[in-house]
Amino acid sequence: MKNLNLLLAGVFFCVASVWTGLLVTAQVQLGSLGRAPAEEGGPLFPAREPGLAIQGRAVYLDLGCVACHTQQVRPAGQGSDIARGYGVRPSVARDYVLQPQVLLGQRRVGPDLANYGARAKSDAELAAFLAAPAAGVNHPPYAFLTAERSAALVAYLKSLRQDYSSPEAKLKQ
Amino acid sequence: MSQENRPARPSGRPPESGFARLTRTESSLRGPFLCFFASAVLWLVVSSVLALVAAVKLHRPDFLGACELTTYGRVVAAARDTFVYGWGFNALFAVNFWIMAQLGRFEFRNGWLATLGGATWNLALTYGVVQVVRGQLGGFALLDLPREVGPVLLLAFLLSALWSVVAYARRPGGQHFVSQWYIVGATFALPLVFLLAQLMVLWFPTVGTVQALAHAWFVQNLLFLWFGASALAAAYYFVPKILGRPLGHYYLAPVGFWTLFLFAGLGAPAALLGGPIPIWLQSVGVVASVLGIVPVVVLAINFFSTLSVDGGWGRSWNSTTLRFVAVGIVSFLLFGILAAVFSTRDLSATLAFTSFAEGQVQLLTYGASTMILFGASYFILPRLTGSLWPSTALVHVHFWSAFLGLLLAVGAALAGGWQAGHQPSAPSTPWALVGSVAAFLLLVGHVAFALNAFGMILSSTTPTSDGRSD
Repeated sequence: MKNLNLLLAGVFFCVASVWTGLLVTAQVQLGSLGRAPAEEGGPLFPAREPGLAIQGRAVYLDLGCVACHTQQVRPAGQGSDIARGYGVRPSVARDYVLQPQVLLGQRRVGPDLANYGARAKSDAELAAFLAAPAAGVNHPPYAFLTAERSAALVAYLKSLRQDYSSPEAKLKQ
Repeated sequence: MSQENRPARPSGRPPESGFARLTRTESSLRGPFLCFFASAVLWLVVSSVLALVAAVKLHRPDFLGACELTTYGRVVAAARDTFVYGWGFNALFAVNFWIMAQLGRFEFRNGWLATLGGATWNLALTYGVVQVVRGQLGGFALLDLPREVGPVLLLAFLLSALWSVVAYARRPGGQHFVSQWYIVGATFALPLVFLLAQLMVLWFPTVGTVQALAHAWFVQNLLFLWFGASALAAAYYFVPKILGRPLGHYYLAPVGFWTLFLFAGLGAPAALLGGPIPIWLQSVGVVASVLGIVPVVVLAINFFSTLSVDGGWGRSWNSTTLRFVAVGIVSFLLFGILAAVFSTRDLSATLAFTSFAEGQVQLLTYGASTMILFGASYFILPRLTGSLWPSTALVHVHFWSAFLGLLLAVGAALAGGWQAGHQPSAPSTPWALVGSVAAFLLLVGHVAFALNAFGMILSSTTPTSDGRSD
């Protein structure tokens, strides 16, 4: 261990071998994933976000919503996400291929939002909730949001859907 | 012990000081050390204030709710970034380099380069944190500073920290000690990991969930190979030095070193169990996390065998430095055990996305690394400033506030996470309240430490290089 070059070579090997074994192989396996039809000849999923939802994604990032909300539904054997109604099937890697920055999140102070669009309230109710949540609900009030930003955020939240079949996760009929 | 009597084999104990040349070593790094240390303490106080605001918002979401700048997501990101990049990095730059200079008898003739690196680091971080508070933050914890900050931080890291590697390369006689391996390894690994993570997540983002995997790999390496390894280096240095005896079973230290460096990064996918990444990756993460018990066992053998003889624990309690370091060692071992046990699928299924993981991380970054850094500060600062700590009362306030704050914060996070995982409908407010009390205690402790440290630095006399006995 007294030879600096050997020490550095060993540390480099540890870091590089793990990076190659985990990240490079993951990229090889997942890097070519693209959208896929839910049924033969049908439209491709995940669907492209409408323009207002793209702006809403920026508001979502801006407010740091990822600190309290995840966007990943785990399979039935790994948690109770589906039983709790967070989604109708587990999330798969293909669901995220269109997202410039994946917002999986690591903490659920609030509910998971991966399939929120399928169970969301109306636009007006959602905007009212974001501005002034009901008493007893542990959600911060965003009364400072302008009407444009609020509408964009609502559009983004309602665009979050994972209720389509994917080759890796078919919906039960 | 004179040089002629020093044993030829590694002795499991850092070489004795006591030569005039060592005093010149300390004089040469005094300026950069104090700059890094002063910045670190300021960042620590800032991060503690932000952490308190975030903790209160968890049970009172409308606290400071009218102001967009204090949105919870931004405040918690700023608190985390200032703690890790502000306090953690600056303090570790200082302490790592001090240990390497001591062990390598390194006279630092280009201190201005390190100080320049530190100033660059702090300026870039200040810009980044201001942008985070203004809403320009990313979606990945600890990679959420604006991406233009990344290259500047990388350059500043190289300017500030590479001297540790230089000190190892230029050490006389070819002798080496375990602390040096950990610091050289950490200093070499971190910029590699940081660069690759920045490229894969921010600059040339990979498609889909590979970003999340790259982020998990970065955080795992940052925690284990920078915070963890540097903390261990300091613990391995101070325990035998202050107790005046060699480390027990020192021959196991290389095993602990290499297993930590190999298994740390491999355990990254365990943070994404059940997530949208391939199952084989998740399994690799679980296996590597469980194998992470091996370095923990080695550390336990090394430290407990050293501390458990001849009243070592009692003597540690009576030494300010070792009191903090002992808390840090126990925290590190608890963290290692929790990481190995709670990475399995069954336990992760209920505890994922709760505060349990945050409690584990806090046990490492605060319980282990920060407490050991506090201990190191109590040893190093009097030597470099030629002063005594202005107030003994503030030292006691610091220790007890930090210790109780740590117990409450980690306890509330682990217990609250356990309850949230097993009884999702139970209210989490009581645990969030305890978390706020803990954050307040930590702030009190850090302010006490800052007052004492700055009082000492501002009243310091310039140490002379002769006439000092060690």
